[in-house]
Amino acid sequence: MTQQAATASTYNPPRRSYRLRKAISYIAAYTVLIVFGVIVIFPFLVMLATSLKLPADTFSYPPRLLPRAPVSVELAGYDKPLPLYEIEVDGQQREMALVENTVRVGIYAAPDNLDATVTVPIDEVAPTGGADNQATATVDGAASPLFDVPVNGQIVPMVLINQTALGRFVDPENTSIETLANVRLSQPVSKLTAHPENYRDVLQLNGMSRALINTALVTLLVVLGQLVTSVLGGYAFARLRFPGRDTLFVLYLGTIMIPFVVLIMPLYQLMVLIGWTDRLAALIFPWVFTAYGTFLMRQFFLTIPREIEEAALIDGASRLQILWRIFIPAATPALATLATFTFLYAWNSFFWPLVIINTGNTNNHVLTLSLNVLRGRAADSPNLVLAGAAISVIPPMILFILAQRFFIESATSSGVKG
Amino acid sequence: MTTMTMPASRSRTDTWLLVLMLWHGLLAVAGLVAVYVAFTGINGGLRFAVAGVLLVLALLSATTVPLIHRRDHRGRSISLVVNYLGFLTCTALLLDMIGAFTGIDDLAQRFGRGLPFLLISFVGYFIRSFGDRFEQFPQRQRSFQRVGNIIMLAGLLLFVLAIINFSGIPALASEILQPVRMALLLGLILFGVMFWAMWRQPVAEVMGVNNARSETLSGYLFLSPNFLGFLLFFAGPLLLSLYTSFTNWDAFGTRDWVGLENYARLLHMTFAQLSSPTQLATEVINTSIFDELFRFSILGKSFIVGAQDKLFWLSIRNTVVFCLIAVPLSVIPALLVGTILNSKLPGMKFFRAVYFIPSVAAVVGVSLIWQWMYNAAVGWINYAITSGIGAVNGLTGLAIADPQMRWLSSADTALLSVALMVAWQTIGFNTVLFVAGMQNIPKVLYEAATVDGAGTWAQFRNVTLPLLGPTTVFVLTTTLIQAFQVFEPIFIMTNPPGGPNNSTLSMVLYLYQNGFQRFRQGYASAIAWVLFLVIFAATVIQFRRQRGGAYEA
Repeated sequence: MTQQAATASTYNPPRRSYRLRKAISYIAAYTVLIVFGVIVIFPFLVMLATSLKLPADTFSYPPRLLPRAPVSVELAGYDKPLPLYEIEVDGQQREMALVENTVRVGIYAAPDNLDATVTVPIDEVAPTGGADNQATATVDGAASPLFDVPVNGQIVPMVLINQTALGRFVDPENTSIETLANVRLSQPVSKLTAHPENYRDVLQLNGMSRALINTALVTLLVVLGQLVTSVLGGYAFARLRFPGRDTLFVLYLGTIMIPFVVLIMPLYQLMVLIGWTDRLAALIFPWVFTAYGTFLMRQFFLTIPREIEEAALIDGASRLQILWRIFIPAATPALATLATFTFLYAWNSFFWPLVIINTGNTNNHVLTLSLNVLRGRAADSPNLVLAGAAISVIPPMILFILAQRFFIESATSSGVKG
Repeated sequence: MTTMTMPASRSRTDTWLLVLMLWHGLLAVAGLVAVYVAFTGINGGLRFAVAGVLLVLALLSATTVPLIHRRDHRGRSISLVVNYLGFLTCTALLLDMIGAFTGIDDLAQRFGRGLPFLLISFVGYFIRSFGDRFEQFPQRQRSFQRVGNIIMLAGLLLFVLAIINFSGIPALASEILQPVRMALLLGLILFGVMFWAMWRQPVAEVMGVNNARSETLSGYLFLSPNFLGFLLFFAGPLLLSLYTSFTNWDAFGTRDWVGLENYARLLHMTFAQLSSPTQLATEVINTSIFDELFRFSILGKSFIVGAQDKLFWLSIRNTVVFCLIAVPLSVIPALLVGTILNSKLPGMKFFRAVYFIPSVAAVVGVSLIWQWMYNAAVGWINYAITSGIGAVNGLTGLAIADPQMRWLSSADTALLSVALMVAWQTIGFNTVLFVAGMQNIPKVLYEAATVDGAGTWAQFRNVTLPLLGPTTVFVLTTTLIQAFQVFEPIFIMTNPPGGPNNSTLSMVLYLYQNGFQRFRQGYASAIAWVLFLVIFAATVIQFRRQRGGAYEA
């Protein structure tokens, strides 16, 4: 095979260039696809990773994808675990424990050489000549007090240039190695961790677990209800002749394109009238009767051969039996398509629940509504907000992975041929 | 004893018909009484509706009596309709009275307990359908189905047991025993029995029903659940919305007819010439009515445009700008990626599935993710920009300044930020539509083009694009219609919704603010209808274009 290809390319230069071009176009195609794939997937990775972080970790800059937590060690003589930092000592990188957070230090220099400074804790320094009779030196034409500063075991009189606070770090393996360094500029030692308890916390916070159950119930009932009415209506439109059928069908078709926003106001008024505001029933029943589902089922039923049905009718089967025994089993793919479409719509809907369910009535919240509340309440802990987002986003994704074909079909059946 | 003789069956049918006539006579009288009660007992415009419906039903019921007597098949149809509607009404009222609809709230509490069992039942279904893979081994297929069925049934049974509120049953029984509910229950049973009596085959034969007539009735019956719901939750509200848009309906009981006032207020604009580009607006337009919208200069002269409802026009501007960004960004890359996916390279199905994922996710969830990514201080997008610019500067020696975008918190970029996210979420869906459209293009055309020496680009330009016309128009219009109704991402991502400084106030958001925050429901309905007309125009253009398309899939 390879030999053949090699000979072919040796003796046929145009062919080789064709192959080269093809290889380049393959590489280009896959590059575009992969780059685009990364753009599509990355936000979800951010969501998952952030939802497993500690609150402080979410605000680190530069942003890190994976959740990390600071490492600490137990050290004899200290009652609390001490955080570890990456510290450079004598040109050597060490992992050192922070034993004291704010050590007040002075930056000192000899009066004749202000550029060579030493940094020494203030309590190791004493005024030259005693506190009552401190010696001074002239620096930049002004008298500055002198201090006895220990430098490499010797006492040198120096002037104070600046004061600051540093952290005292100790090597936990060899406690004699000690150094002072700026805590805020030091890099803490961190390790990969995960905090799945974020999910538990967010479910307990403002009744999100109840919202999850409500969403599941509402979605289940909407899907079941819509399947029933759509199958019945679709069968009537596809197979039964009755006066006004075609007019009604055109009317149904026309309503598919009426946007929901036109309906939201009057539907709300209707719900007020029948006392369903703030009730889960308002999230279910208006969505059980759709023109789109009826249209989809009708289109599918039209493709089932009439002969089967006529044979069953002659055998004395009723319409309902025919529908149940012949049409529904044959229409499983169409039903699954409609079910996935409806599932997404019901699970993800936000505008209508926002209008109909009171913000205070957390018992009747659905997930999207609960997220909306969470975003305000936990604004300072993105890990919780994104854990909540994950709870709402992941179930449809799992369903998508299991029933991919029907999702793609529900997308394509919505148009193209219609 | 064993076989029913013809005359006996006949006389039984006649007895039923007599009962039906009596029933409808009684019903007509009861209906007229109910009309009187409803008309005097209910206040407001609702009484006309209720009394009217009852009157029609009572009259219909009355007309069936002579029709049934004459064995006219129309009598049967009308009787069936009246009894069916009566049955449904009694059922709905009874369910409402015993709290079945509002009880869904309490059901949710117990539903959580049942949920694991429901999942078990789903697992059973999967096992059952897994058996279909072994069609060559009927034995194995059957055992899979049997096991699956058992698990399914057990799961369902446990689910039902878990969600039933046993302690509530006595309370429910005592609720039904109250007089009004008992009456409804009785009505429900009577309507049901009468419907069944008329529907039965022997009665149908006597009433002169043929195949076509029975098919007609079946048709209406099958369509009825959908159609009644459609009337109640769609057509009715639609008309109500149109009516509301001509009133000053608010939450406090005012609902006076104001004619076109809402629309006039929305669309009322003014226009004036300025003596200098910086002249104050108060000097040329009546600022007690109008707010300045914008100024412009043409041919050395300056003009000012004012509108009575400045925010409405601002929301239109924002919506249009949003569409102009989001629609091309979600259609053009989709076309490009779709073209690649349509090639027969391995792994295309995988990529298609990956790209579809964002459109599966809830807009609210995705908005929260992007809000975090847009964070000006520690967000990934600014980090990517900063490190990208750093890399370019390092490589080329240029000194491009980091723009330090503030994305959602800046009035200049907030709308752009939302549009980018919406485009990201829509691309995958559009890609799938484009791929489906491309797969409908006959391969012969590409082969012919290759024979003619057309390269990839020429094929794309001269074969794919023209033949994809209908799909493209469809994708464009659906994306546009969706974009016109943008609400959720803005509501979640911007703070306050529509901000900063109204820079992301969209038409639907403005509708929401008017209808549900300021409770100006009449005005909000007018906004909805203006929005609808815009969308309707887009749809009509789509249908026109699709009809005139070069190629029908």
